[in-house]
Amino acid sequence: MSRADAAADAAISFEAVSKWFRRKDRLVHALSRVSLDVRQSEFVSLIGPSGCGKSTMLRLAGGLLEPDRGSVVVNNQSPAEARRQKRYGFVPQHPALLPWRTVRRNVSLLSDVNRQQENPGMSTDDQLAMLDDIGLTPFLDSLPRELSGGLQQRVSIARAFALGAPVLLMDEPFSALDEITRADMRYLLLHLWGKIGSTVLFVTHSIPEAVVLSDRVAVLGSRPGRITQVIDVSLPRPRHAGVEDSDDYHRVLGEVRAALRQGWSS
Amino acid sequence: MVELTGWTASPVPGPPDPEGGTDPGLDPEFGVEEPPEAPRRPIRRAALLVAPFAGLAAFFVGWEIYVLVRNLRPLTLPLPSDVIIHVVENPGFYSRNGLVTIQEAFWGFWIAFFAALFVATWMAHSQFVERATMPVIVLMQSTPVAVLVPIFLLWFGFSPWPKILTAMLFAWVPFVANALIGLRSIDSETHELLRSVNASRWEIYWRLRIPHSLPYLFAAGRICVGLALVGAVVGEFFNSREGLGNAARVAQSRLLVDQLWGSVFVLAFIGVAFVLLLIAVERRVLRWHSSQDSDHRGL
Repeated sequence: MSRADAAADAAISFEAVSKWFRRKDRLVHALSRVSLDVRQSEFVSLIGPSGCGKSTMLRLAGGLLEPDRGSVVVNNQSPAEARRQKRYGFVPQHPALLPWRTVRRNVSLLSDVNRQQENPGMSTDDQLAMLDDIGLTPFLDSLPRELSGGLQQRVSIARAFALGAPVLLMDEPFSALDEITRADMRYLLLHLWGKIGSTVLFVTHSIPEAVVLSDRVAVLGSRPGRITQVIDVSLPRPRHAGVEDSDDYHRVLGEVRAALRQGWSS
Repeated sequence: MVELTGWTASPVPGPPDPEGGTDPGLDPEFGVEEPPEAPRRPIRRAALLVAPFAGLAAFFVGWEIYVLVRNLRPLTLPLPSDVIIHVVENPGFYSRNGLVTIQEAFWGFWIAFFAALFVATWMAHSQFVERATMPVIVLMQSTPVAVLVPIFLLWFGFSPWPKILTAMLFAWVPFVANALIGLRSIDSETHELLRSVNASRWEIYWRLRIPHSLPYLFAAGRICVGLALVGAVVGEFFNSREGLGNAARVAQSRLLVDQLWGSVFVLAFIGVAFVLLLIAVERRVLRWHSSQDSDHRGL
């Protein structure tokens, strides 16, 4: 398949994207000629050192930033248009729950906003079923400050899925959690994704996380940010905790680690 | 669009049941441990409830004893019990004048609140407006408001407006400053989250900025209740035939010590009553805010 055909079929397509930021009196080159096609219903992780432009790529895909050069296309639309039509479920680094809303009302927040668009999100019954599925039923009327960090992040993820958006953008959603909760959240995310099948662009610092979750891992190098390698993760789905004991998992883990090291030294 | 045709549940590891369901992974040898009983501290609770009244009583008893021991003349410092008896014996006079002052302070307070919210909203959304407005606010803050009362008199005569405007000017700077901080200091990730679904400015304002600024506005409100009362009284000092400020001014010129101190007591009572009312509303509205945790709460 040619590059043009792949881009036309892609859910998210970055085409030679460059981005600079102005910091006081100097320009910081955040991304340099980045190209990447994320296929429909694919789970792609972006991994790399701090400041390599992972979150910038996520925000470009979500239409929250504009590229200085190149283009980003989401399901044959501009990101701004996709945003207008509520085609994104966004999961930020911290849960970003509204402290005055209960769990139930936080989950419905993105559906409540910008209501005139055609995407109404999940029905209330489906939202409740999903929340029950991930163990949040006892907390439906709790306020965020009454929940642990892990439960808050569960609500944050449920909120993104409740919109039923075809594209999910996740910016290191588990980085603030302890290691045990973090491992638990990976499989929770896979569980929800297995049912909805959205396209996911996932930013992480964790190599095991990227390998367990993804179909492909895009490794980024820094100064300026660029994709140094894209690694296929050919582990079978559905994936359960046992996958972390397999030889294939450790092989891919090694590949990603080597690619990161290579990107760092180059 | 992703197909959403009903959610079918399937097991996924969840958090522990807060109702105390048995965890299947629990070692049966240990079983389910009974939670400890919530500590009962009736004396501590009662003490906390009584504390404000005890503090006030101690203050007045101390005052009473001091006047008696030093044998002070009422003109120097009256017995608080005498002042209270005087107020209780003249309910019509104090309620009539108190109501006038309350009305002036009330309208001054709310006009200050809405004017401050309006200005702070403009400032929070535009750096240009903020830069253009800030010098005017500093100018208003630095000008002694009392000096403006004669000007208001020229404009509005003996109507309630000079007093209301004075009360408003006393109260509005704390409201503007707090509203601006509250509207501005929203969480950037939550802001981004709402932008990701193309929320309009109005939606971000209504769903995020306003609720976020409520704790700041309540904090300002507590200060501004007192300031609005001060403003109303200052206005009455200059031109009024009624109100507690006028009652105190007349009492001072005719050496009516009981009436002078009676006006002070009633003004203090009104201030405390409105602050307590505001705190009660705040506790209901800000149930979600950490300031309402019993561990962090003072009054």
